[in-house]
Formats: sequence, structure tokens, C-alpha cells
Amino acid sequence: MKLFARYNRVNLLTTIIVMLITGIIYYRAISLILINQLEKDLVVEENEIFEYVGMNHQLPQVFKSNDQQITFTEAKPGTVTRQFINTIYRDYQNPKYAKRHHHVDDDDEFESGRGLITSVTVGNKYYKVLIVVSEVEAEDLIKIIFGITAGVILLLLITLYITNRLLLNRLWQPFYNLLKELRFFNIADSKDIPLEKTSIDEFEELNKVIINMSTRVKSDYKDLKTFTENASHELLTPIAVINSKLDTLIQTDSFSQKQSKLLNDLYSAVSKLTRLNQSLLLLVKIENRLLEGNDPINLKLHIQELIIQFEEIFLDKELIVTCELGEKELITSTYLVDILLNNLLSNAIRHNYKGGRINIKLTDESLVIQNTGENAPLQEEEIFIRFHKSTESEGSGLGLTISRQICENLKFTLNYSYDTSYHTFTVTF
Amino acid sequence: MKILIIEDEKGLRESIEEYFMEAGNICETASNYQEAMSKVSLYTYDCILLDITLPGGSGIDILKSLKQNNNTDGVLIISAKNSLDDRLEGLYLGADDYLVKPFHLSELRARVTAIIRRKTFNGSNLLVFNEIGIDLLAKAVKVNSTAIKLTRKEYALLLYFIANKGKVVSKNAIAEHLWGDGIDLANNFDFIYSHIKNLRKKLMEAGSNDYIQAAYGMGYKFTD
Repeated sequence: MKLFARYNRVNLLTTIIVMLITGIIYYRAISLILINQLEKDLVVEENEIFEYVGMNHQLPQVFKSNDQQITFTEAKPGTVTRQFINTIYRDYQNPKYAKRHHHVDDDDEFESGRGLITSVTVGNKYYKVLIVVSEVEAEDLIKIIFGITAGVILLLLITLYITNRLLLNRLWQPFYNLLKELRFFNIADSKDIPLEKTSIDEFEELNKVIINMSTRVKSDYKDLKTFTENASHELLTPIAVINSKLDTLIQTDSFSQKQSKLLNDLYSAVSKLTRLNQSLLLLVKIENRLLEGNDPINLKLHIQELIIQFEEIFLDKELIVTCELGEKELITSTYLVDILLNNLLSNAIRHNYKGGRINIKLTDESLVIQNTGENAPLQEEEIFIRFHKSTESEGSGLGLTISRQICENLKFTLNYSYDTSYHTFTVTF
Repeated sequence: MKILIIEDEKGLRESIEEYFMEAGNICETASNYQEAMSKVSLYTYDCILLDITLPGGSGIDILKSLKQNNNTDGVLIISAKNSLDDRLEGLYLGADDYLVKPFHLSELRARVTAIIRRKTFNGSNLLVFNEIGIDLLAKAVKVNSTAIKLTRKEYALLLYFIANKGKVVSKNAIAEHLWGDGIDLANNFDFIYSHIKNLRKKLMEAGSNDYIQAAYGMGYKFTD
């Protein structure tokens, strides 16, 4: 769920609940106040009756007024207790008015009313007095107030929803921008995460923290690469010494069969070490994008030259090579392309068996190199990992890593697939 | 020939010196920038082997000063730096060749010989070894006056042997010279043997002596 949706849901829900509660309290309070007002009117009326009775020693004449009815009934002395009641107000005065407000469905006009029961003694007669006032006006007032309040609440909710939507979208924009930057963050890339202009402190802080973090990560990564490069570089000199000493050693004397076997092993170990070292250096350079170029390359020609170069090795391993080469021009670094071709072809030779096949197909869209070999597919995600190699492989374990990195640099894709006993590497331009 | 070896790594310097030391060759060495500068300004050499990273300064500066003084000494850079830019910078500044460490001494020797040959023959492209004559420009080989047809690899092999005559050249070095990096793909070096056998056969059929000898299963030696 999006933050905005969640926020809006919670926000609206609480607003509605609070508004409902407030509405109820409001309604109650206004009702109380209005009823209180009505009761005051009733008390004023009662006092008028008492005054009249006190002055004239008789009951006042009962007349119908707009919203008031007074009735006197004789009662046994002392049976009436003074109290306010909810009762029914019967409207005879204004049938039209009453019609709009009647509460029961038959034609008698009843309205809810508030009454006061009290008592008065005139001479030696004891009367029960009932004063009733209509509550209709008070109720109407409440309804209007309630209607206005409800309208205001609705308006408030709508405004809240819309402003939240607009405001939140706008407020969170820096966050989304940052997210986009993070998604495209590449540790080997030289491009930094830009400082997003925002007036929100939290986002500014987030941005700063992320920039700091990415800078630190990048510099650590760079240090690591520098270390790899330096280490490989430092190793080159001792390897060069070993190599030259071996070359000097074989000049010295005659050697027994056993000694020359040992020397041969030493030679191949040193040359393997050299290649491994050079591969590491190369990988670092490619990752650092130190090798760039804009040379026009006729790929077909390069592949043909490479095949001639490998001719003896094909013969040695009795490999059958089939080529289907179309024309393809590239404008990029010759050095990288040569390494890529060399690695892929070397791979196809290395993991082949005696008498196996290699198919090379070049089209405008892709270069496909297929080779026979072990009769099972390889794990695509594993073979491109550094130093991942089959136990019997004599390679450095960096060839495919370098190939993929080169493809990445040149904006190509390199994929592996296996079908009908062919291991297939496809470079898509 | 007179050679100056500018290299700070003692082990490597001594090996190179020993490999080049023979009758008719003079080898001098320098192990740091100042020593190298004083030697190149005082004497002339047929070829200078120049390491780039030196204590006290950069080999590139030595190269620059050589070229400023219109010095015609051949310069071969031997460096651990393998990037294209380093190579191009070296060659642009006037070095004759660039060899990346680690290298086989026989490879170094072949390159130095090629540089000196270019410098000293001054346009003459004929390399003569006893009865074998090689036209370097036409890449044609004659034994006495009989022309023989060599493949590209056999021709390269012959030049490599002649440059390293009297030395045992390992199969590794030959393979790397002829096939470059791809050579580790081969199961063994048997196919080198077939190239050498063919070269030997062609030379001897045309009347040359048998100069190529196998050396204890490790390599070959080209001797008088």
C-alpha cells in the first residue's frame, strides 16, 4: 500500500470518527440549551399565572396562543408535584404549519412539546396546571444547525482528501526522485547521486546520508580495486624475475629427463600465474573503464584472423570449425573486442573434447559461438562469477567474467544457453 | 652490440645481462634514474632496455631527454605497465618497441636484435646466417641460392632462432612468440614440434646444415 493511500485512509477515518463524536456532542449540547430555554419560558408563564392568581384570586382566562397551551384541572390538594415533562403539543392554531410538522400519520396535528406540571390554589380550590410549549421551532433550529455542520464536515473531508493528495504527491517528490537514483545506482559508475533541492529537512537529510553512503561505498570499492591493481602489479616483477631465471637456468648445463620435466612444469606454472595476473589487471581496467576507443572494426575480418591464429590448436584438438560470417561493423575499442573474441573462442576450444565442433555465426544483430563439450548445461548465473570454473579447467576462471564486463562496457549483452549438446554464447549488439 | 640495461630489479637485471653477455656484446647496467641519465648522456648504445618505474625518476623522462638530444640509440621499453596508453605513450615518444613484463629472455633478445638490425643495416634488408639468406622486407628465405617457401610461422620461427642462436629456447617461449596468449589452450606443445620439424626439413632439403637441436625435452637450440 502506498504511503499516501495509507495516510489518507487513516486520516479520513479518524476525521470521520472525530466528526461523528463531535456531531453527537454538539447535537446534545444544542438540544439541552434549547430545552433549557423552553423550560425558562415555561417558568415565566408559571410565574405570570401565579401573579395573576395572587392579584385577582381567580384563574386566568385560557386562550390559545401561538406556541403555548395552558390547561387547568381541579385536583385533590397535594397530589401534584411540580415537574417538567415531555409531552405532545396539539396545534389547533395553524393547521398549515402543523401539517408540515406533524409526527403521526393520522390527521390530528401533534407535535412534540415540553410541558410543566405545577399547581395553584385559588380560594379553597386546588388546581393542577399544565403548560405545554411546542418544541418544533427548537427542533427546526437543531436540524438546520446539524445540516450546516454536516455540510461543513463533508466539505472539510473532501478538501482534506484533495489537498492531501496534491500536497503529499508534491512533498514526496524528492523521495521518489531519490528512489529512482538509488535504483540506477552503480557502484562502478563514476556518476554520483545528485543533491535534490528540497525544503523538507527530513528529505534533505536522507539525501545527504545517501550521498555520503554512496560516496563511501564507492571509495571503498575504488580502494579495493586499487589494491587489486597494485597487488597484481607488484607481483609482476617477481614473476618476471622467476621467468628470466628459468630462461637463464636452462642455458647452464645438460639436464636429466627428470630435471627437464620439473623445469617444464615450472614454466607452465609461471605462465599460468602470469596470465592470471594479467587477467586480474585487465578486469580492473575494464571495470574502471580505462579502456575505451572509437576504432572502426570489421568484426568479420577480426574473427577470420583469430581463426587463422588458432588454426594449429584446432588441428591439435581435431576440432571442426564452421563459420557463417555476415558483415558487421562496430565502432569501439579494438583492444576490448579482440579480448572478447579471444576469450569466447578460447572458451569454446578449452571446454571442447577431441574431435568436437565449434560453430561461429555472425549477423548484424548478434555473434553466436557454439561448442560441443560436457553433456550438461552450465548454470548461467554461476559461470560469469570470478574464479568460477570446472575442476578440470586449466583456465584462470576470469575469462567469462572479463567477457561479460567487456560486453557491459560496450553496451552489448552476453548470454549463455544450452541446447542439443551445444553450449551457446550469444553476444547481442 | 652494445647494450644498456636500465632496470632496478637486481634479479632481472642480472639475468638479462647474463643472457646478452657473449663474445662481441658489451652490456652495461644502470639501476636508478641518475645512473641511467649519466650513462645515456656520456655513451651511445645500440640498444637501451628501459624500465619505466625507476628509483629517482621515470624512464619516460630518460626517453624524452634521449629524443631531445637527437640520440639515435634504439630504445626498448620493458615495463610492467600493460595498458594501451602506456604503450602508445612510449612508442609516441620514440621508443622502438615495448615489451611487457614478465617476458622470456629469448623474446627480449629477438626484439633487441630486430631493433639493432633496423638501426644498423640502414635500409639493407638482408640478414645472412652462414648459407641462409633472409630478405626481411620480402620475407623470403634462400639457402645458398635456392629459394625455399616457408609458412608465416616457420619464417617467424627461423628469425626467432637466429636471434637467439646458441641459446636454449624453451617451448613455452616459442609457443608464446608464435601464438601469443592463446597458447595455454593447447594440451601440449606437440604442434610446435611439427612446425620445427617442417622448418628443419625445408632448410636441409635446400642444402643447409642442421642447426636446430632439441634440448633435453625442454626446448630447442639453434647453433652453428
